Amino acid sequence: MSLFTEFPEMTRTELRDFKKGIDGSFKDFIHAYGESIENFFKPLLHFLKWFEDLLVATPWPVMLAIIALLVWAGSRSIGLVIGTIISMLLIGYLGMWEDAMFTLALTTVATLICIVIGIPIGILMSKSDRVQAVVTPILDVMQTIPAFVYLIPIVMILGIGLVPGLIAVIIYAVPPVVRLTNLGIRLVDTDILEAADAFGASPTQKLWTVQMPLALPNIFAGVNQTIMMALAMVVVASLLGVHGLGLEVLKAVNSQYITLGFMNGLAIVAIAIVFDRTSQKFGKRLQRHSEVIHG
Amino acid sequence: MKKLLASAAIATLGMSGAAMAQECGEITMAEFNWASGELLANVDKFILEEGYGCDVELIVGGTSAIFASMDGKGTPMIAGEQWVNGVRELVDAAMDAGRLHAVNRGPITGLGEGWWIPAYTHEAHPELKTVLDIIEHPELFPSAEDESKGAFVGCPAGWGCQQININLFEAFDMEAKGWVLVDPGSAAGLDGAIAKANERGENWLGYYWSPTSIIGKYNMHPLPFGVEYAGDDNWNNCMSKPDCTEIQQTAWTTSEVFTLVTDEFMQNGGEINDFLAARVYPGPVMNEMLVYMSDEQASGEDAAIEFLLTREDIWTQWVSEEVAAKVKAAL
Repeated sequence: MSLFTEFPEMTRTELRDFKKGIDGSFKDFIHAYGESIENFFKPLLHFLKWFEDLLVATPWPVMLAIIALLVWAGSRSIGLVIGTIISMLLIGYLGMWEDAMFTLALTTVATLICIVIGIPIGILMSKSDRVQAVVTPILDVMQTIPAFVYLIPIVMILGIGLVPGLIAVIIYAVPPVVRLTNLGIRLVDTDILEAADAFGASPTQKLWTVQMPLALPNIFAGVNQTIMMALAMVVVASLLGVHGLGLEVLKAVNSQYITLGFMNGLAIVAIAIVFDRTSQKFGKRLQRHSEVIHG
Repeated sequence: MKKLLASAAIATLGMSGAAMAQECGEITMAEFNWASGELLANVDKFILEEGYGCDVELIVGGTSAIFASMDGKGTPMIAGEQWVNGVRELVDAAMDAGRLHAVNRGPITGLGEGWWIPAYTHEAHPELKTVLDIIEHPELFPSAEDESKGAFVGCPAGWGCQQININLFEAFDMEAKGWVLVDPGSAAGLDGAIAKANERGENWLGYYWSPTSIIGKYNMHPLPFGVEYAGDDNWNNCMSKPDCTEIQQTAWTTSEVFTLVTDEFMQNGGEINDFLAARVYPGPVMNEMLVYMSDEQASGEDAAIEFLLTREDIWTQWVSEEVAAKVKAAL
């Protein structure tokens, strides 16, 4: 009868042994491979550290000019450039310049890595339904699993600092670019593909000269989402001791400093808006450009 | 003669214990929301219920919440492991006014905050006895992000101890000696950093506190500072403040932990107060229990049973033979 009132669960001892067994084999894994994994990521650490130092060491007017130029190159919008300069000046004036540079460095590197990893996976997914069937649930897990869950194993393998923080950000931020690359390529009109076939295009030619250009607006929407999610993860990365605006937010949360919290939180928002508007406008310009060629 | 007196004393104790059993009634007791607090509360509960016939209700909370409720409303009646440093002025005021009493000024020995190194680092470098010795050797503790520097792991952002570690870092002139102060970001980051170093046999220097399962599990070694404690005034008004101008080298302040009871309980609790006063956990035993809790992922209640079953040598000293027999029978 108790079968109906109580769920037939594992006994406490079995469950404990089960959990201990997995934890134990994970520890064995760390003993065996921890150091090699850490060494594998060393070049990434050095690059990230170098980039961070570079951004911090660059005199602020130079940095500001570079940022303004990049925004202009991406968006061709004078309003956005002015907005960017004003918000960066405000961030600096309120004493958050260095932290903003740390955050900018981490987000930029994370986004680049996401693109380098994400676009090829997206292309593979679009080529094969089987790959798509395998990768999609993995992406679902990456986007929904609470970040705190994978922070523990990451710290056990790589310790605290930049690289573990970067990996946590990438796990969360890479899915959109993968998904939208896949979607973008799959959405390319079959008529256009038939036309390409008729002209005798090889699959490689088809991919690079027809599908990718037509999928670019979608891919760019994916990159845009990836940037946004990377910025949103900055605070979580700070739980692993990554410097920057996120760490100040954590400090504010732990000590009930309302103003400090909002200042750093809004600085993250400002950077996010600059990234978002710039990449959106860039994406739109790409679309217009492709419409002229293919439309 | 002495023996006779002692057994007579035990007999009277036993009798009053039996008398208490009828009148003990309901007791509210704090269960602090960290591992040692859970264990201590559950052991007390078991002994009071089975040994003294009380009916104990546990109230879960943190240091400030429990203290506020106890001082203001008189519930819970007992706080087993009240850390005093964070709420010292309030505790002093309540005790001066007679609202609360400290029946035990050290329920766990060898506790406190400070700087720690792994046991194997201590064994490999026995000449590095104090903080003053260690800080001359940053090369033993290379930082992941800049291997030419030594890493000292401070407190997570926003914790009270963060500023103290920042000031101590400056007081010991560690930046000039080739150290960086690493912010672990969170409790998980700090724990993870210690676990990773120990699993890999790397040297580690940083802040932590005892009693904790991490300290017990990895057998971490507390590092004496090698200088005297520079006094409460310096500690409270300077070292813990960001704008401290007279930073000086000092040892970490001693943490005080009391078992507090309300005035009403002090008057009516009878020999339960004697039990609370006698109940002292040696630090290493407490750490062992915390390791058990984290290894077995056990709750405070499970751990309390485990403690009572395996460490009779400790807890039977806290109670009369008669109470001990009752508790043993209940196990």
